[in-house]
Amino acid sequence: MFALLKRYRELILVAVLLLVPLGVFFAHAKQPSERTRLDRVVLWITYPVQRVVAWGVTGVLDGWRGYVALRHAQERAADLSRQVNLLQMEKQQLVSERAEAERIRKLLAFAQATPERTYVGGRVIGVRLGTAGLQIVTLDRGAADGVDRAMPAVVAEGVVGRVHSVTDHTADVLLLTDRNSSIAVRVDRTRARANVRGTGKPDGCKLDYALRTEDMIEGDQVVTSGTDGVFPPGLPVGRVTHLQRSANGLFQEAQVIPAVDVTRVEELLVITSAERAVEAQPSAYAPGSQR
Amino acid sequence: MKPLAHVVFALLLAGLQAAVLRWVGGGAFSVSLLAACIVYLGLQGGNVDGSVASAGVGYVLDLMTGSPKGLMTFLAVAVFVLARGAGAAVDVRGRAGFAALSGLGALTLSLGALLLTRLTSAPEVQPGAALLPRMLLEALLTAAAAPLVAAGMRRIDGLFHREEPGLLR
Repeated sequence: MFALLKRYRELILVAVLLLVPLGVFFAHAKQPSERTRLDRVVLWITYPVQRVVAWGVTGVLDGWRGYVALRHAQERAADLSRQVNLLQMEKQQLVSERAEAERIRKLLAFAQATPERTYVGGRVIGVRLGTAGLQIVTLDRGAADGVDRAMPAVVAEGVVGRVHSVTDHTADVLLLTDRNSSIAVRVDRTRARANVRGTGKPDGCKLDYALRTEDMIEGDQVVTSGTDGVFPPGLPVGRVTHLQRSANGLFQEAQVIPAVDVTRVEELLVITSAERAVEAQPSAYAPGSQR
Repeated sequence: MKPLAHVVFALLLAGLQAAVLRWVGGGAFSVSLLAACIVYLGLQGGNVDGSVASAGVGYVLDLMTGSPKGLMTFLAVAVFVLARGAGAAVDVRGRAGFAALSGLGALTLSLGALLLTRLTSAPEVQPGAALLPRMLLEALLTAAAAPLVAAGMRRIDGLFHREEPGLLR
């Protein structure tokens, strides 16, 4: 018997190594057993080993990613920086184009709202805002485009000025803030008459010839009256501010903040159709009236 | 001592495998470097120390994988026996042969674990055939990495190799 065991001891060992784990497996498969002390000891021993190995692998991989894999990072960063610069320029251009499109859309809506008028759209190509009171912008449209002297120049927000001089392909527009500009207006709320005169400063005008007896308060909107034979009636000119009504005298004094910031105008419309204000004629001479 | 050295090497490999797989693939695939260890033991080790070392490697697998106790130990010894049988029947030479046998060993371990777990687990939690593609991929990756494992095992064997004194010494 002993000789038999000795003869097949290797086979028996292998069989034992096969059968014992299989038995243990089937014995514990249904009810998972806790780890034995031996298991815990082996795991405790292997934990530092695993940790060192993991640390080594992590270190190598981190080193690879942090140094070796970054060998083209500088070129890539420079390339990306160039792309960012280009994209920023493109974005700036798009923003500018969008703002321009918005302004032109407003101008178009304004022009479509009054189909009885004819307009010529122009772009500002020159600005002369002098400290001595000269307030002129130059348009890229001129006589060849139908622009003529004394034609009103407007944007969607209101009056910009009038055409002062023209060449074939350009036109100078005298802004409403110029010292030499004077526009006949009405207070929109009370229909009181006055004149808006430029002061030579781009941010303010003066209200002239407003009778002291007229009802007028700060914040009133003034619009063109049409009585000057240049501007059609009803175009916004500005808002009344700094109103002063003295105890004596014929007129009250006020300033007007223009409805249009003339320093920011880039495109504008020149009204090329002649319009006569109905109220410019005395009612006795109006068509259809009986004497 | 040699089986113990093999088990320690298996422990190192298991740690390395876990660390690498954590970084590479993020668990999308796996590799069984210890299967290559067992196949090497089956081809190169003796009956006693090879089977004991295989059981030790299986025990390590049991501990590391969290599988039911005894499952991987049994399968490791079974793969050892199969590798030994294959080594006796076919002359496995070169890296390619060892790699192919390691891949088969990894597949045997996975399939064996799948079948035995299916036998003992409740129907609703039984692993299914959906794992087969993953097992095949694991076998392929194991085959690819097997030559490196064999080199490591040979180095360990070299530590215990002793020159027998010849007649003239």
